[in-house]
Amino acid sequence: MKGRDKVGSSIRLPRGSDTLASGLAVASLALLVGFVSLPLLSLVVWTVDKGTWRAMASPVAVDALLLSLRTTAITMAILLLIGTPAAYVLARAEFRGSRVINTLIDIPVVLPPSAAGIALLLAFGRLGLVGQYLNVFGITLSFTTVAVVMAEVFVAAPFYVRQAATGFGAVDRAVEEAAMVDGAGHWRRFFRVTIPLALPALVAGALTAWARALGEFGATIIFAGSFRGVTQTIPLAIFAEFQRDLDAAVALSVLVLGFAFAVILAVRYLTARSTKDRA
Amino acid sequence: MLANRFEEQNPGVKVKQSFESSSTLLTQIQQGAPADVFASAAEEEMNTAVKEGLVNGEPEVFVKNREIVMVPKDNPANIRRFRDVAKPDVKLVLAGKDVPAADYALEILDKAKGEYGADFEKDVLSNVVSRESDVRASVNRVVVGDADATFGYASDYTPDIRDRVEIVRIPPDLNIVATYPIAALEDAKSPELAKKWVELVTSEEGQGVLQKWNFEPAA
Repeated sequence: MKGRDKVGSSIRLPRGSDTLASGLAVASLALLVGFVSLPLLSLVVWTVDKGTWRAMASPVAVDALLLSLRTTAITMAILLLIGTPAAYVLARAEFRGSRVINTLIDIPVVLPPSAAGIALLLAFGRLGLVGQYLNVFGITLSFTTVAVVMAEVFVAAPFYVRQAATGFGAVDRAVEEAAMVDGAGHWRRFFRVTIPLALPALVAGALTAWARALGEFGATIIFAGSFRGVTQTIPLAIFAEFQRDLDAAVALSVLVLGFAFAVILAVRYLTARSTKDRA
Repeated sequence: MLANRFEEQNPGVKVKQSFESSSTLLTQIQQGAPADVFASAAEEEMNTAVKEGLVNGEPEVFVKNREIVMVPKDNPANIRRFRDVAKPDVKLVLAGKDVPAADYALEILDKAKGEYGADFEKDVLSNVVSRESDVRASVNRVVVGDADATFGYASDYTPDIRDRVEIVRIPPDLNIVATYPIAALEDAKSPELAKKWVELVTSEEGQGVLQKWNFEPAA
């Protein structure tokens, strides 16, 4: 990865009077690493200790994992399809009200997810602002998997769009224009020049958005409800199990930890390879 | 309301209340949450607490409650009597597994088999579209109009929602009367105050306040 090389070359081991400062910095890092890894470790220790691995293969766990997989995949497809061109427009076009739109798009980042869930419910619930008209046509969204995807898109979209827009903004216009001069059309230029140049930002944005969608809890439980196989994603299953069977809740947490870890490693590996290929 | 009264009676004391489903509260107490008194909406959670030595002294029943069915005011699924909850395409919401309100609902459905036929229970359960974290959340699904019906306690028919929700009564021979036990906890920081709180809740004054909220008196 490009970023990593840069970091590697700019950090030098300190000498003399810098020792204290860098010692503090290293201690801070150790503190942070410990603080993050201890709870994760505790999950695994508990599971090993109580021998609750079996709970990971329980129907509740399997259904929840499959549902999380399915809904986050659809969410990402929607985000890539809609979010990518939207981010490009945000990065390139200057129009009146673009500042307002930028702020609006960022709101779900700072809005507590439970508030987002209430907002979605009041908009798309059966008696909601939009929902009441959908209801006339026999379309109800609450308690469906569609509602889960809507909640995930709502909270995850800004994470992708923001980073994608920054990535597109960093693409040199001169390079894009040169491609035009060479006879590439708008589509060709976008897919052959702009997207590859912005790829690290797009991947990073997609990964954060995916992680956010996977962890989505508040908006989902409020807007979509919780039902096994339909709306009960992993975070909801953990909450439901916590209220009755702590061991199962721990097992589910370990399961999603392993799953998230695997996805992050896979994406890191693939991006590293693709940047190396192009270099 | 009772908290204010308690603070009046015991100057300098601040009452902190945590409302969750009884099963969540039990888990929290088991995990060492700092609590002086445990009031449970079911005997089962209290029995577990007693068995695990979390309780100081004997629990006593402080209130009774009855299950009801709640539907939105406009009643989109046209539920007029209890057996209508088995009609096809009713969007029924229940509290989560092991939440007492939901457990009682299941018991009632089981009992109703004798009266409404063997399929009744199956039909009702196939109408369930969501399991909520607690009974209040499932009631709010009806309040906001997304669910056609839910099982709740009579005490959940609170004054603030009476203009948006209707009650469908469950026949008394099928209904289950829930008894709520209360007890001071072994790990209470102030056992004296814990005992006083239990006394206030079970006193005539406390019972009067609870009745205002549609609870039935313990005795």
